[in-house]
Amino acid sequence: MQETSSGRRGAAIYMVVWLFIGIALGGVISLSSDTPMANAMLFAIPINLVYAFAAGYSAYYLCRAYPLGSRRPLSIALVLMATAVVCGILWLLLGHAWNGLTMLPGADWAGIVITRQLSALIVGLGILLYGLAAALHYIAIEFVRAKNAEQRELESLLMAQEAELRMLRTQIDPHFLFNSLNSISALTSQDPKAARRMTLELASFFRQSLGMEAHKKVTLGEEMVLIRHFLAIEQVRFGQRLRVEEALEDAALACLVPPMIIQPLVENAVKHGICNLPEGGTIRVGARRAGSMLHIRVDNPVDADMPPAPGKGVGTGIGLANVRQRLAGAYKHEASIHWGRGDGGFGVEIAMPAQTTEGED
Amino acid sequence: MRIIIVDDEMLARAVVREYLSEHADAEIVAECANGFEAVKAITELSPDLVILDIQMPKLDGFEVAELAGAGPRYIFATAFDQYAIKAFEFHALNYLLKPFSQQRFDQALAHARANVGKGAPDTAVGNMVREAAARNKPLGRVLIRDGAKVHVIGSDKIDYVEAQDDYVQIRSEGKSYLKNQRLTELEGQLDGEQFLRIHRSYLVNIARIERIEQATRDSHVAILKDGARLPVSRSGYQKIRAALG
Repeated sequence: MQETSSGRRGAAIYMVVWLFIGIALGGVISLSSDTPMANAMLFAIPINLVYAFAAGYSAYYLCRAYPLGSRRPLSIALVLMATAVVCGILWLLLGHAWNGLTMLPGADWAGIVITRQLSALIVGLGILLYGLAAALHYIAIEFVRAKNAEQRELESLLMAQEAELRMLRTQIDPHFLFNSLNSISALTSQDPKAARRMTLELASFFRQSLGMEAHKKVTLGEEMVLIRHFLAIEQVRFGQRLRVEEALEDAALACLVPPMIIQPLVENAVKHGICNLPEGGTIRVGARRAGSMLHIRVDNPVDADMPPAPGKGVGTGIGLANVRQRLAGAYKHEASIHWGRGDGGFGVEIAMPAQTTEGED
Repeated sequence: MRIIIVDDEMLARAVVREYLSEHADAEIVAECANGFEAVKAITELSPDLVILDIQMPKLDGFEVAELAGAGPRYIFATAFDQYAIKAFEFHALNYLLKPFSQQRFDQALAHARANVGKGAPDTAVGNMVREAAARNKPLGRVLIRDGAKVHVIGSDKIDYVEAQDDYVQIRSEGKSYLKNQRLTELEGQLDGEQFLRIHRSYLVNIARIERIEQATRDSHVAILKDGARLPVSRSGYQKIRAALG
């Protein structure tokens, strides 16, 4: 709908422009000779409007047939030039025919004298206007092409987001999976009830993470449910070594976040923090809403003896880079993520727009 | 057969303990939850077999095997470490993938039992440990075993390293440590941007150099921030010039 209405508007503007050119041509004819204004206008306006269609359509097909960049610019220019000259001459012939036709009734407000100069002017103007029409078409074609490219880019971005989340889901740390299964294997003989609880936690975790869709944001509260399943499983593995503290404001829990944006941070906190500490430690997850911004923080202790050196702790940056990328995809520059080591711990802080309904962005 | 179980997860140790209860001759002499305990226990108790998890805090399984030496036989266990699995296959080492069954465990145990007491040290373990160290380079820290104790020295804390026959003496924060390694091998593992071989017998931490002095007409000494004076060879002097600009 929008396409056709904007097309119609374009056509109207096009015709008005040609109408003005016609009036201008009539004025020039009237002023440059003794021709009365009425005669000049009666000659100039109709032939201009006809030429508007003829040159417009002809240029349109020509521009389609010779898109920019398809051939050498010189050959396109030559083709255009030749066509413009032919059209200019045809236009002059049309002018003569129309002039003859208007003179038939013998009214004194019709008919002009087509001098040599006027003929040259008409042909020259015809060539110029043809060139102008062609240029307009090229601009329009380029514009449409750019718009389509943008559309395609947007679509592929969406698809990439979807693919990325799918990858995240399937790339749930294999260590996590196999170690959890190993814990279940141990529990089946020692504490069958605990084994069943762990199986159910695993099932809930996978069911929820597999059900998430990339473009559909979830509330922080829902994300926290997923995180709690994850931590419950890890707590079976690590026992007393893994402790968790939550400091979550209700206003923050109601905010929407991209799915699985916090879970990787908590997973990192276990993998690169608790995992390396014989005595374990406490992971802190905090979220608060400050005006239009949502702040989320994940902290974990780290092994002070373990330098953040290459070799050890590789991959720390990959998960974080992925989160940063997804934040940028969802909120552009409005979201930020910072991380750093200090005070015997590692902390990540995310700031993003606080949204409570989908589509505010 | 005297056995030590090393795993940081209580439940993982429990599985091994349970599977071992099927074997009357297996005696569990220690259970360790981290690498330091493991090195200490292996050194002090000299078991026949160590069942060793790869991913552990402080020291991983490879580092434990490196520090504790090739005295005992090892069965490595990992949940998912593709590099380690490849290495186990390549060196025909005894390993278990978690979770494992009683049958699989029995096989690994039988294999280890066949080798226990054969005397010949397990060269495959040494090879793999060296390979793992090469993979982790540049080393962020150097591990030194001193009897049953393990010292972990951050490579930025090292002043210099001096070659002493088959050993290296590592100087750090006013203390000296001996490590059974050749200087050239250690040099290859440390960060070349950080350490410079200024002499056949000396590897120095560039950040610790205070100044270079002319000693005789064609020899120099490097004076470190703590006042130590190290000889600089001619090629070493050129390297220092290039590094310090």
